Amino acid sequence: MSDAVARPVDWGRALRVQLRVLGALILREMSTRFGRENLGYLWLFAEPLMLGTAIGALHHVTGHGLPGGLHVLMFWVTGYVPFYMFRSVINRAPTTVVANQSLLYHRRITILDIMLARNLLEGGAVMGTLVIFLAAFGMALDLWPKEPALVVFGMAAMLAMAHGAALILAAGAIYTDLIDRVIHLVTYVTMPFTGAFFMVFWLPTEMQHQALRIPTVQCFEMIRRGLFGTAVPTTFDVPYIITWIIGLNLAGLLMMNVARRKLVV
Amino acid sequence: MIRLENIHKSYKLHGGSSKVVLRGVSAVFGKGEAVGILGRNGAGKSTLLRLISGVEFPEAGHIRREMSISWPLGHAAAMHYAISGADNARFIARIYEKPIAETVEFVEDFAELGQYYRQPVRTYSSGMMTRLGLALSLAVDFECYLLDEVVAAGDSRFADRCRAALLDRRARSTMLMVSHQAETVRAFCTSGAVLKDGRLTRYEDLDQAIAAYHAG
Repeated sequence: MSDAVARPVDWGRALRVQLRVLGALILREMSTRFGRENLGYLWLFAEPLMLGTAIGALHHVTGHGLPGGLHVLMFWVTGYVPFYMFRSVINRAPTTVVANQSLLYHRRITILDIMLARNLLEGGAVMGTLVIFLAAFGMALDLWPKEPALVVFGMAAMLAMAHGAALILAAGAIYTDLIDRVIHLVTYVTMPFTGAFFMVFWLPTEMQHQALRIPTVQCFEMIRRGLFGTAVPTTFDVPYIITWIIGLNLAGLLMMNVARRKLVV
Repeated sequence: MIRLENIHKSYKLHGGSSKVVLRGVSAVFGKGEAVGILGRNGAGKSTLLRLISGVEFPEAGHIRREMSISWPLGHAAAMHYAISGADNARFIARIYEKPIAETVEFVEDFAELGQYYRQPVRTYSSGMMTRLGLALSLAVDFECYLLDEVVAAGDSRFADRCRAALLDRRARSTMLMVSHQAETVRAFCTSGAVLKDGRLTRYEDLDQAIAAYHAG
């Protein structure tokens, strides 16, 4: 990307190189994060699987019923697992550049490549985990997703939003450590507002409008429509979601472009 | 060809002040040249290599690159500490579109790390890291090599092999070597330059560059 090489640009070749770089980065990320010992790559799924089970089981045992007669375990697990993906993409963003600085010595590798590789891996792993859960619910409880495509779209939208936000945070972290210090607090405090653990129709009417301004709330509504179909009312606005995705990613790319030039390796 | 046009670079220091390292460096390095860039400690030699390699950006000025350029060789940069030397070789092979098995084998032969080749890089000594770095870059086969003197200095058997490999590469690659020692540069380079007070002066004749360096 930053190669100021005065050769005729061959876009096909450039794309091939980027895909190659991405593939290599994903493989590397897998081996550095999970190694080849004990469970190895299975940890990719094990972590969200264990956390999802724990959260779901906790609510199942404490046994509050949910409005609309939603299955307690399924509701909490399918709320928590996408949230887990969103949070880990965001939380790890501020340290991404520092942790991968040595990669930037290869001019073919951009910060965008590094972040795409990480986040696609995270998204893939969590999607895999969700599939495992949904298959289990289907077989054990006969609760199959009504519109599986919407679950996938909702997850993808959430990942794309998190990726854009992660670019902004990573760019900011090049200027100040403060970002890394406060981000864990922020993701913790804002957890109740993300939409992971409530549905919009539970709220009073005025609050529904407020809640639907939060883009992750709409992603969760989309995922829940996919899971529960029309058994409960759901609201989401696809152009609104897409606008957020484009906005966050454009802002992230612009900020990263500026910050990259300041980066001291 | 690599063309530097009026490059400026300064770094922020703790406490808010900043240190100007390069103040208007312009130079052209042509294909097949072997240039020794002489400068005292702190003159900005490593900064210059980092800018040419593209890992850092100048504040002002342009760098045009018309050949593939290595990362600056000599430090432990450009590799992963958490994974083994062999995994680093695989990674480099994937990134630079080289056959994986051959690359792993070439690096193993050249770097002579023994059992350490399959151990995480963070367990290596600095000499081992230098060897691995050089081996990785030779495996890629760049059109231009950016070299720190440590790659070619020393009197070990391995240093001899590095020198031999670099001399062999010089026949088809461009080389830019930074050093504070005239002798190291003399062994590899055919022309010279002196980096002083943030400016770079090119000399067609290496002896002239060395004389100017010692006079400064």
